[in-house]
Amino acid sequence: MKKRNLKAVSMMMAVCMAAGGLAACGSSSSSSKTEETTAATEAAAAESTAETSAGSDASSSDSEWGVPTEEAERVLKAAAAAGQVGNWGNGNQYELLALLTKYGLPTDYVTEDFTMDAFDDDSITLASAMTYNEMGLVKNDYDGGYGYGDSVKTIDMNDEGVGMLEDNIITSKKFAEENPQTVQAFLYASLKGWADAVADPEGAAQIVYEAGSSVSQDHQKYMASEVAKLTATDMNGDTVDQVGTMDETAMQQTLDLAKKYIALDDATAQKKLQSLTLDDIRDTSFFDAAMKADGKSFKPEKTDVSIQLKWLPQSQFMGYYVAQAKGYYKEVGLNVNIISGGGDVAETTAVNNGTVDFGVTWVSNLAAADAGGMDLVEIAQIFQRSGLELVYKPENFQ
Amino acid sequence: MTAVRSRKSKSAKNAANAALTIILPVALGVLIVALWQGGVLQKLFGTDDYVLPEPTRIFSIFQDNSSAVWANIKITTSVAMLGLLFGSLLGYAAAVLGALKPGIGAGALAVVGAFASVPLVALAPVMNNLTRDVSRVAETRSFVAKILVVMLIAAADMGLNAYRGLTELPPYAVDLMKTYAASSKTVFLKLRLPNSVPYIFTALKVSVPASIMTAIVSEYFAEFNGGVGRQIRENILLAQYSTAWVYIMAACGIGVGTYVILMIVRSIIARKFHM
Amino acid sequence: MKKSIFEKKWVSVLFWIVLLIIAWEIGAFIVAATKRTPANILPHLTNIIAAAFSTKQVAGKLTASEVVFTSAGATLFRALVGFVLGAVVGYVLALLMKLSGIVEKLIFPYLMLIQLIPVIGLAPIILSITGDINISRVIISAILSFFPVATNVLEGMKAVPKDNYDLMYTYAAPKWMIFSKVLIPSSKPYLFTGLKTGAPMAITASILVDTLQGDGGLGCMLSQSLKHAMNIYVFWLIVFFCAIIGILSTYVIGWIELAVTPSLRVERRTSRPGRPKKNKKALIEKNGGMNNDSSQIQKV
Repeated sequence: MKKRNLKAVSMMMAVCMAAGGLAACGSSSSSSKTEETTAATEAAAAESTAETSAGSDASSSDSEWGVPTEEAERVLKAAAAAGQVGNWGNGNQYELLALLTKYGLPTDYVTEDFTMDAFDDDSITLASAMTYNEMGLVKNDYDGGYGYGDSVKTIDMNDEGVGMLEDNIITSKKFAEENPQTVQAFLYASLKGWADAVADPEGAAQIVYEAGSSVSQDHQKYMASEVAKLTATDMNGDTVDQVGTMDETAMQQTLDLAKKYIALDDATAQKKLQSLTLDDIRDTSFFDAAMKADGKSFKPEKTDVSIQLKWLPQSQFMGYYVAQAKGYYKEVGLNVNIISGGGDVAETTAVNNGTVDFGVTWVSNLAAADAGGMDLVEIAQIFQRSGLELVYKPENFQ
Repeated sequence: MTAVRSRKSKSAKNAANAALTIILPVALGVLIVALWQGGVLQKLFGTDDYVLPEPTRIFSIFQDNSSAVWANIKITTSVAMLGLLFGSLLGYAAAVLGALKPGIGAGALAVVGAFASVPLVALAPVMNNLTRDVSRVAETRSFVAKILVVMLIAAADMGLNAYRGLTELPPYAVDLMKTYAASSKTVFLKLRLPNSVPYIFTALKVSVPASIMTAIVSEYFAEFNGGVGRQIRENILLAQYSTAWVYIMAACGIGVGTYVILMIVRSIIARKFHM
Repeated sequence: MKKSIFEKKWVSVLFWIVLLIIAWEIGAFIVAATKRTPANILPHLTNIIAAAFSTKQVAGKLTASEVVFTSAGATLFRALVGFVLGAVVGYVLALLMKLSGIVEKLIFPYLMLIQLIPVIGLAPIILSITGDINISRVIISAILSFFPVATNVLEGMKAVPKDNYDLMYTYAAPKWMIFSKVLIPSSKPYLFTGLKTGAPMAITASILVDTLQGDGGLGCMLSQSLKHAMNIYVFWLIVFFCAIIGILSTYVIGWIELAVTPSLRVERRTSRPGRPKKNKKALIEKNGGMNNDSSQIQKV
């Protein structure tokens, strides 16, 4: 019995190692590809900045996002040595792990709660923060804010090449198969709402606020403007034409990092994770169909649908609220219930067991869920670049 | 003669009874596990073996990660037990104060009892913030914060029960002490203290499982990412139900284990104090 | 005997509350002097009270108090439904266990075990059974509150003196009559002890299960304000509100007990002046009802 177990374990390990090796090959080849593309896009970016140096907000230069790489390395090493790098964990940590690995540092971090108190009192000197949420609190001095203004500096995950895609729209493969028209109609109206929101973040913030948001109006506005940037700018800082596009390169980078840094204790799930390809976790057909549609000819199979957000009701999800408020969902024949998240039952679980029809999650969480045995698929990618930053006070690193 | 025989048959009956007490639940347990493994339980609940994975799968994941699971169990158990210890001492001290100075004590106990009604979810984050200055090491201060939460819960249970034990004395014993003109110190040592022992166990019966639950919940909010509770939450958020079940089982295991130990200690002490 | 002003319980309670307030305020002054964001750690009580009466809109068009009260409605309703459900199930289980020793042996350990499963692990399973988050919430509240009722009632039924049975036997009373005339009435005080333990637990549980999904309820607002999505004083208001409601729930059950137990009213009236602590029930009242012998598990 014992011997057999041992054999099974060793075989499993061999398989894992093989899979790991393959994955490593895959990721190295893809990373060389990204290098090429970055070189190409850098040139393009240089061009575009030259063009729009008049000062359009969305396409501003890289320096807006974070500090240069050498500075990032120095700060990261100092903070890691002191054990003062913070993250929330719970699936938010992979980009940080990738970054620490990139600089050859141990992948330990301190758990942040959902306040920036620990950053404020210096018990976490290099703290994780989302550009649209915690950064707003750190910088501004409105209700709940800490008022540091521009005295704090940030390390941007996209700049460091470890960015992973976040907010998307998911549904279950079963639901998509049975209700293709509903899915297309929902995508069409949602993306229309998102496009409006990106064009007018301030108006969108007002709509979210009136929809019973939990966040103060000022913070809502700040968040809307930052979310608009994430939605309309890709990892290289270029403008994205169509909201919801599933960019192959960025998604591949996300999946590769997910495979490398998500560690699942369940051997079966871990194996499945390593075998995932982009085709397993995303389906572009609904997006393409929605883009071609005129918006009037949908025949939704199911008209009462719901979407569970990943977090509390706030401008992070403004597109859905705008689509709701402006009647875009009604126009395509849908009656949509927006359910806020932030609870213990994750959006992936809720979508998978059919309590809700659509969900907003992160690509890494989607991959982990599918590896664990769920049958979920991404149908649109809302955020085109990572919104995660590490924030620090320069005086702590002099 | 007949009396002896009847006593004998009675003890035989008792033994059979005791055996049943163990056999019946075990049999039910075996049945449940069998249904679970066979997938009947999943069908019955209208769920799948994804949310409710088979026991063998759970066990194999446990085997694969046993050292990590044990490390987490150790963290949770030590938080729960240290919190329980300090909390019980504090609660008992409050009860002694209450018994010696009845006027002030009654109020103190009412206030302590009120703490039991404050939701844990509210206490845990406050404790995190209050203990920020305890240590530069997140693991240490987080450990302290968790212990403090458990302590408050355990103190409430112990305080209320021990106070009853220290004050609800058998009338004949009080009269006896009076006839001896015993000093209040003697009354305390010879009467109140032993009288409170069963009540201590009544309190522990409640506070041992409560401490473990409290430890698990405060781990959800804790700064340092360790412990059974943290693993359950993290795995459920990541939709890793099979792994979450390993830790759910671990949580049950800690609860059952400590409860059994408590019962054994109780029965040993019961013999001493003729409870 | 020397008469102390602490003879009256409320004076003593007041004394401790004042002491706590002083300790809190000293702490608040220290925190205010040393921390940048004292409101997150330990704000002055006056600030919390001010926040309760402030007309500033903190979420949508609601003030802090309005946020607390509107979300409290949903949570307390779920707690009430779950509590009633749990109490009924607990009572029925106790009856079953009393009826049959085998049933008791069979299920009692599992009743304990259910209490030990962390809610967060239980929730997805119950959710997939019911398919509705609010029904799941009620069921979880019920699961968490049935145990004290079941154990207390069972204990009460077991504590019935043998004489009472003997009397019924001499009348050759059928089993149902023994239940309705002896067991159920005499287990009543135990039932109320169980209910008094269960009520704050149902409320705590209801707040906890609010956080399963982010739509409304005290638990949600609590976590949202903690996550700085809202004015932090909403958090402090909810903490105090929960504590007050939790304590109040015990008293409400006590009043209900008085209302349905005429004999208890008589006992209390006669025992009040001059004859203190004569009966055990009065004592139970005095200790705020938190003192039952059976397992009360603070559940989560």
